[in-house]
Amino acid sequence: MRGVLTRYGTALAGVVLFLAFAATAPVFLTMDNLALILKETAFLGILAIGFTLALVTAEIDLSVAEVASLAAVVTGALVHAGTAPWLAVAAGLAVGSVCGVANGVAVTVLKVPSLIATLGVAAIAKGLSFMLTQGVAFVGRWPSSFTGIARGTLAGVPNLVWLLGATSLAAWLLVKWTRTGAHLVATGEAEEAARLAGINTLGMKRLSLTLAGACAGLTAVLLASSLSSAAPAMANDHFLYAIAAVLLGMSMFEPGRPNIPGTLFAAFTLKVLGNGLVLLGAEYYWQDIVLGTIILVSVALSASGTGKAPFVKKLNFRR
Amino acid sequence: MTETKRRDVMLGGAALAATLAAPVVARAQATDVAIIGFQMSSETHARAANAAAAAARAKGWDATVLNSEGALPRHAEQLDTLIGRRPKAIIVCMGKPVEAEAQFQRAKEAGVPVVTIMSGASTHTLFDIQVNEYKVGAEAALWLLGELGYQGNILTQRFEGNVGTRIRGKVLDVVLSENTGVRVLGTHTMARTASWRDDVRQGFQALLLRHGAQTQGIWASFDGQAFVIDDLLKARGVQKGRIKLVSIDGGAETYRRIADPDSTLMATVTIPFEEMGTRAVEAVERIVLKNEPKGAITSGPYLFMDAFLVDANNVRRFL
Repeated sequence: MRGVLTRYGTALAGVVLFLAFAATAPVFLTMDNLALILKETAFLGILAIGFTLALVTAEIDLSVAEVASLAAVVTGALVHAGTAPWLAVAAGLAVGSVCGVANGVAVTVLKVPSLIATLGVAAIAKGLSFMLTQGVAFVGRWPSSFTGIARGTLAGVPNLVWLLGATSLAAWLLVKWTRTGAHLVATGEAEEAARLAGINTLGMKRLSLTLAGACAGLTAVLLASSLSSAAPAMANDHFLYAIAAVLLGMSMFEPGRPNIPGTLFAAFTLKVLGNGLVLLGAEYYWQDIVLGTIILVSVALSASGTGKAPFVKKLNFRR
Repeated sequence: MTETKRRDVMLGGAALAATLAAPVVARAQATDVAIIGFQMSSETHARAANAAAAAARAKGWDATVLNSEGALPRHAEQLDTLIGRRPKAIIVCMGKPVEAEAQFQRAKEAGVPVVTIMSGASTHTLFDIQVNEYKVGAEAALWLLGELGYQGNILTQRFEGNVGTRIRGKVLDVVLSENTGVRVLGTHTMARTASWRDDVRQGFQALLLRHGAQTQGIWASFDGQAFVIDDLLKARGVQKGRIKLVSIDGGAETYRRIADPDSTLMATVTIPFEEMGTRAVEAVERIVLKNEPKGAITSGPYLFMDAFLVDANNVRRFL
């Protein structure tokens, strides 16, 4: 029983939360609202999946939100200037990936701890965002071929949900079912042993941080497409929530380990929480209080089973 | 589980259900109005939003205040969720109707009327309650130049990320272009929004170190910046009147400083944020509940309110 609670306790709490809102919050269970929750989960979920991939190799990427903001600004600037949407999208993804590569190089070549390296890249990304915009957002009635990426549907299902599903599936398959994934996990679980076993641990770290950057780039493209605007710091609101999603995700399914299903479910739960509280008419400060309480209780429950809070256990500050 | 424990769990569950259901029951009986403050940690946003909430509650309405925390994606998400909840009206304080145009359009299509405060005009809202920022900017600029006798050197503290403060700065430039006896020795533009006080303190400290001795006047784009500059000037031993410090917004702390002989702040242009919140609620009552035409309140996209200059001559009236 205790094992089940440790493994699925947080997930069960999420289900209970969902049912509680379904029973009490008006229009919560309508298709429109459920689609809205899933669409909102896409932005947070994809960003958090990137964070999870970095954490799989025991590296922490604090730059994801600023990198996403920079990528959104570059994408928005290009669309605003009339560039072909596919080129703007490619540029956004490239900016995210390049920032990820920069993080990887700083960590593995320059030997800067990821906590500091990613803070540095975040600061540079933030500065570049303001340099490009001078603080003024790119806003406009952008072509539907661009806005349709986030606002459109395919087979009746919002594109955002498809993209979230595809990203999650790809990340899950990579980590759980490929040799590279096994190497990523081995690097994060026991770096020295993995290196002695012939695994290119530095390469794995570069790969994970690059993927985190690419996820930030994708989030950026979707944000700009959804909002028809791009501004510095526009993704920053997702930063703490992305950490919360990964942290909560580590308290379920594979307690103590960053895992894609956990991150995804946690991101969904956080969005359910925000949506349900708004529908219930809760004042804004209650949302923060409830969110904080849920994080504390979930992690405490998980820690009671594994002996240590998952995030602390995973993070490696030594170098 | 013992009988006592079972009873406790049932009582706890009932209490939780009652707590969650209470706002729903209450809302079913009252007029439901949602108020969004774009950045509730900003005093002016909070003043307008809280005043609107207080005015709505005074009428016996159910008012929910939400905080977008300065984040555009969250702003859009909250609007989307509220549209699903279908309140009688949404009041948005210092929102982003241009950047989040899709959400404002959706609100209009869903039949949820939106009144904005200091947000800018939109075809999807009833109207925006504003002061004429061009007039406000001119009032502050001309007061400063008048105090200087149209001769001297000034420093400026700007913020380009907000339409209102941006207009104020542009009007200052126009006034200066016609009065070439006043020279701008240096300008600091606030880039960060989350830690803006620190940003202003650092930037303006550098300006004062370089130009403080030659400066006779300082223009700040809003009062919060002026408070930081006032503290810097006091720390440098500057006496009231030695450097003429003017800004814009108004409020209890501003009036206290203008009246305080130890403070260097000398004047502000007061914007009636509380009255704007009250007027928004009155507009909702007249248009939505009493079915009066919008034209009975204002014919254009703006409902302009008066802003007025407060300095040593009239500050006692506001203390």
